[in-house]
Amino acid sequence: MNSDRSRARPVRHAAWNVWRNPIFRRYCQSRLRLRGVGVGLLITVLIAGFIVAMGSSIGVHSLMTPVDAARTGIIPLFFLQCVILFILGTAQVAGGMTAERDEGVIDYQRLIPMSPLSKVMGYLFGLPVREYVMFLGTLPFTAWALWRGQVAWTVWAPLYLIVMTSAALYHFTGLLTGTVARNRRWAFLASIGLVFCLYTIIPQMAKFGLVFFKYLTITPVLEESLPGILPVSAGAVVRAGQRLAPTVKFFNLDFSEAVFTLFSQGGLILTFIIMLCRKWRRAEAHLLGKVWAAGFFVWIQTLLLGNALPLIEPGNLFPSRGFYRMVRVLPDWAPKPGEAVLLSGIYGLVTLLLIFVLAGIITPSADHQLRGWRRARKQGVSSLPHLADASTGFWFVGVMALAGAAGWFLFTRALVESRWFPGHQVPLHVLGYFTLVMVTGAIGFQALLEAKGGRVVGLAAIFVGVVPIMAGAVFGPISDRLIPAAAWLIGISPMSMPFYAPGTLLSLSELPAAAARAVPRAFHFWLFVSVLVSMWLSVRLWVSRKRMAERVLATPPPVPVSVDP
Amino acid sequence: MMTSDIPNAPAPAIDIRCLRVDYGDFMAVDDLTLSVPQGVVYGLVGPNGAGKTSTFRVLTTLMEPTYGEVMLDGVDVLEDIEGVRRILGYMPDLAPVPSDLKVGEFLEFHAAAYGLASRSQRRERVAECLEEVSLTAQHDCWCKELSRGQTQRVVLAKTLLHRPRVLMLDEPASGLDPLARRDLRNALRKLAESGVTVFVSSHILSELAEMCSSLCVMNHGRLLASGTVEQVRTQLGRTERVLTATLLGRHEEASAWLASRPSVHDLRVTGQQVVFGFTGNDDAQADLLDGLVGLGIRMRAFEEKRSSFEDILVEVAENNRRP
Repeated sequence: MNSDRSRARPVRHAAWNVWRNPIFRRYCQSRLRLRGVGVGLLITVLIAGFIVAMGSSIGVHSLMTPVDAARTGIIPLFFLQCVILFILGTAQVAGGMTAERDEGVIDYQRLIPMSPLSKVMGYLFGLPVREYVMFLGTLPFTAWALWRGQVAWTVWAPLYLIVMTSAALYHFTGLLTGTVARNRRWAFLASIGLVFCLYTIIPQMAKFGLVFFKYLTITPVLEESLPGILPVSAGAVVRAGQRLAPTVKFFNLDFSEAVFTLFSQGGLILTFIIMLCRKWRRAEAHLLGKVWAAGFFVWIQTLLLGNALPLIEPGNLFPSRGFYRMVRVLPDWAPKPGEAVLLSGIYGLVTLLLIFVLAGIITPSADHQLRGWRRARKQGVSSLPHLADASTGFWFVGVMALAGAAGWFLFTRALVESRWFPGHQVPLHVLGYFTLVMVTGAIGFQALLEAKGGRVVGLAAIFVGVVPIMAGAVFGPISDRLIPAAAWLIGISPMSMPFYAPGTLLSLSELPAAAARAVPRAFHFWLFVSVLVSMWLSVRLWVSRKRMAERVLATPPPVPVSVDP
Repeated sequence: MMTSDIPNAPAPAIDIRCLRVDYGDFMAVDDLTLSVPQGVVYGLVGPNGAGKTSTFRVLTTLMEPTYGEVMLDGVDVLEDIEGVRRILGYMPDLAPVPSDLKVGEFLEFHAAAYGLASRSQRRERVAECLEEVSLTAQHDCWCKELSRGQTQRVVLAKTLLHRPRVLMLDEPASGLDPLARRDLRNALRKLAESGVTVFVSSHILSELAEMCSSLCVMNHGRLLASGTVEQVRTQLGRTERVLTATLLGRHEEASAWLASRPSVHDLRVTGQQVVFGFTGNDDAQADLLDGLVGLGIRMRAFEEKRSSFEDILVEVAENNRRP
């Protein structure tokens, strides 16, 4: 049976060589069967053909030039392609991954001796292979429309490059959701929901200073390309409108939308690859290592700042600017001080939430810690490696909190000391307050999570993080006399601190009269309480970790006792 | 003493020391120490929840234990995951197969993943393995259309594709008909003869007793006994048998004499029969029979019924119930 005749030398599967990747080929076999792909392709070709034919028909009917008639169909075709790749493809990746686990065959794939990166690449291109074929089915129509519409390659090439990187980004998101989620339906909904959010909710964040997030979509590049792909007259109107719109800037550097989108998406794609490889290597591993998580946080902070700061001086960062642009009364426009306070608060909150997410990723569970200490005992050492999953995430969360506070301060100072608010300064002691807000929030969260686990943190998030805000929001509007009480109640939540801090500390803050006394007092009081609580939680964490270490290290390793006769 | 501790002894195929697996507060495997020599079919038996699957998942690198040392053919399972995966063949419980592939495609995919580069090599190897499990005719069938037994065999064929040095089969015979079970038994023995170590788990002891040269018994995460079937029986302290003597008279006298023997218990008289439990060995049983005949008691029949291994396991499981 074990004849050497057919014994082959094992070969390594290069991650870049997707075409020879067994997982990719396995999905090519199963998802490209004629019956399945035939129907999908037929529908796609019919719709694409209909779009192009309708475009031409409308062109003839409206007496358009052949160029304009051909261009009419480009945007609907593009929309169809995005639906195929972004929606169907992402859903297929997330659902297919969880199906592997539901069926139980994922264990086979875990055991095959391929590198984690090869496995990730196999799934990334294999699971949505039918959608890629359907996309290919639309390309002849697109090519025809681009050729007849005389669209320059410098317009369509960056656009389709970003479509492909965006598809990869969303498919990575689906793959990650499918790998982490326990339920196929949830994975499907979460991944689709994420793509939906990216195009509906996330762009709204750009209006509040968080410009970076819009570069996770194709929107900026599409907007940049529109003049070149719309019918000539419509393109001219859009081009004129774009002269008023800002170009993408990263600190003092000017980028094309495509390059900056590539840069932004590339970082996230790289992070997703790291996460997936870690999960494939060891199912129990954290999604990110501690150093990578801290680096990722600093990278996001840099992008947020790099995008936001250049938009302050022209005024494009302020939400009211967009509104005024809409109603075309720009000459009279000037930002209100409250906008700066709000933007600063949003920046602080998003930074804090990002730290929470990353702290959740790198904080070891009690099981992880126990395993780590037992492993240390086995290796005869008395401490854990600093970067091991079992090691505490405390210091790294602390570093992130400090970096977050610095970013928040820089953003706030640039806002307040801009030409829009002459005479206002942000003194250095504000940095101290911002640091306290970030450190107490982040460290308190991390220490509680590491010492008590996710369930306690979940309950704390509900009863300390959300309920006080809801209660305050309900009581406050009842009467002006209740506003101070509501301000004190809302102040309990660590989520309110990023808003209370600029509201209290910035000289341009214009709080309503009813809240003007209560908010600063509540801020100082609850900040003091937060400091005490986070210190207490930190001490508790260190005591519990020390006890666990002592208990494990003091116990002699179990001596194997064989029951063999 | 473990095999690996003996100088110049070949390294055991599976060497587990102080393995512990916790799921939160629940302890699935409790300080398991076990050594399996190379080239044997070794069984791991225990009722549901005994810790068999957790042990298997650690051995197959699919799970990190709470602590312990596990070596597979000299490779540390916790340190060299890729190395272990190359020498390991694993067939999980319920033996899942993808619903969207045909048998041949499923096997060829795994052959490619395990490094059989050329298509002809893959086809040749797939054909060999399908022949091994008597499923050559099912090459072009959809995996989802196979019966439970056929599915088990397809997964076994997949497990054999890369010629693993250690085979881990979790409940491999569940759902197999007697004929298929016999084929599986023969296939596993042939594999063991060729030097492959086969580690099989099951909660059906009779199934393992048929196919394994040695076995161990687990319950609630603990190892209760290991060795050959008879050794396990001895270690579990269950050599008990039920004896029935059918007498032609003098029942009371016989009962009184039997009741005075130390290895006799639970004696009862029903009609002509005296039924009692006996914990002695074969020699003691022969002496007992001699004693009865020596008393001049006429016996029409003497019947022995030994507790089945299954009964023993049930009793052990009952006695070792978690508090």
